[in-house]
Amino acid sequence: MAAHTYSYFVVAAVIAARLEKATRIARHLSITASNARALAFRAGEGASGFRPLTDYIHRLADLTVSSSSRINHLASELSRTAAEKERAERALRHFVDVGERAKDSPFIDSLQPVFERTSQRQCVLRDAYNSQIKLLTSELDTLEGELRAAGVLATMSRVEALQADGVYQQALNNVADNVESVTASIKKHIQSSQTLVQQLTQELS
Amino acid sequence: MKTHTLYDGDSHRWLMFGRDPNKPEKIIDTNQYMVITKDNALLMDPGGIELFSAMLTTVIKQVPVDKITHIFASHQDPDIISSLGLWDQALQDATLHSPWIWESFIRHFGMQNINFNAIADEGGSLTLDDVKLVFIPAHYLHSSGNFNVFDPQTGILMSGDIGAAIEADDAPMFVDDFESHIPRMKLFHQRWMPSNEAKNDWVERVRELDVKMLCPQHGRIFKGDDVGRFLDWFEGLEVGLTGARLRQ
Ligand SMILES: [Fe+2]
Ligand SMILES: [Fe+2]
Repeated sequence: MAAHTYSYFVVAAVIAARLEKATRIARHLSITASNARALAFRAGEGASGFRPLTDYIHRLADLTVSSSSRINHLASELSRTAAEKERAERALRHFVDVGERAKDSPFIDSLQPVFERTSQRQCVLRDAYNSQIKLLTSELDTLEGELRAAGVLATMSRVEALQADGVYQQALNNVADNVESVTASIKKHIQSSQTLVQQLTQELS
Repeated sequence: MKTHTLYDGDSHRWLMFGRDPNKPEKIIDTNQYMVITKDNALLMDPGGIELFSAMLTTVIKQVPVDKITHIFASHQDPDIISSLGLWDQALQDATLHSPWIWESFIRHFGMQNINFNAIADEGGSLTLDDVKLVFIPAHYLHSSGNFNVFDPQTGILMSGDIGAAIEADDAPMFVDDFESHIPRMKLFHQRWMPSNEAKNDWVERVRELDVKMLCPQHGRIFKGDDVGRFLDWFEGLEVGLTGARLRQ
């Protein structure tokens, strides 16, 4: 998608939508974690080294779900602010236009407070928008960092699988695959959101 | 956009704005009305978002912005009130008077500053300084919640879509030959207006008022005897038609 052709308030909405998807996918990681725990329990001594790993998977899942839903919330707030900001800017453009066209009107001065009020509102919204973008950027970076742990967990699961009894080997490998594929698709959404947020940041400067 | 004075008295003025030569081509031409009293102004059916700049430009030739304390929207249509989101940024303490049934719909146009006064089905009134204006029920003509504004002192009735005609953007302000005006309004009333019962009830009530000028939101104004001619014609017209019956 050539996102740069869209207005900033559309981009903000796209980010919000992507992150909602990421949050939904993150919930799958929780399911994987629960399955892994059940598996470790059933395997007993056959997969003793795997049990502590399931705790890590659980922690990663919880972290991802809570952090991505926080980000999702931030992104929808950003999208709302962007739309409000656009509204104020559009009104301002109209007022500037009227100011030009009504130069000779006897009541042209009455437009001044209207203009000032709307400019002020636009400033407030712009500041809110800027700080929301900053916050969103740092939260996205944090989540990306957390997801790096997923690769390690998957590798460790595979190592455990090598040592496990035949029946559990396949199951443990499945867990590893799951952790890998779920985090990969969350990462994809996070990274494309980061790119879009960067675009918004560039537009600011 | 042109400004036309309909009444200029001691207590108030009635203005009509319209016939905008710079209007985008594909949008229907609309008439906007304003009553200006000593300290207040009421803007009636302020129009669509596309007209906003032209309207505000025209209006501040007449009154300062902060004197526009009241807005009236006869019903929910975009050509009536889709500019609300922009008026909302322009006006600080204004009140919008509109049918109660449309409040939660009209708010979709964006309304954070303007107050909403829900007009009950039976109608109501608004007093601006010493001038009393009456909201006359005109439901189902065409909108299911719809009002006219009547000024008993001058006999001016702002009739919204009733009496509307679809015609050229530079049409004259007043109907000059009623018979030749009929073809311009017939289809609009037959297709847009859904109820004969509502129509006849309205005609009956409006005959009781002393209407000297009937001012629609599209097309030309009826004055003098043409008001009665319009009421007779409208009473005899069958409305709520589609398809083959419409083209007869
Ligand atoms: Fe309408
Ligand atoms: Fe209309």
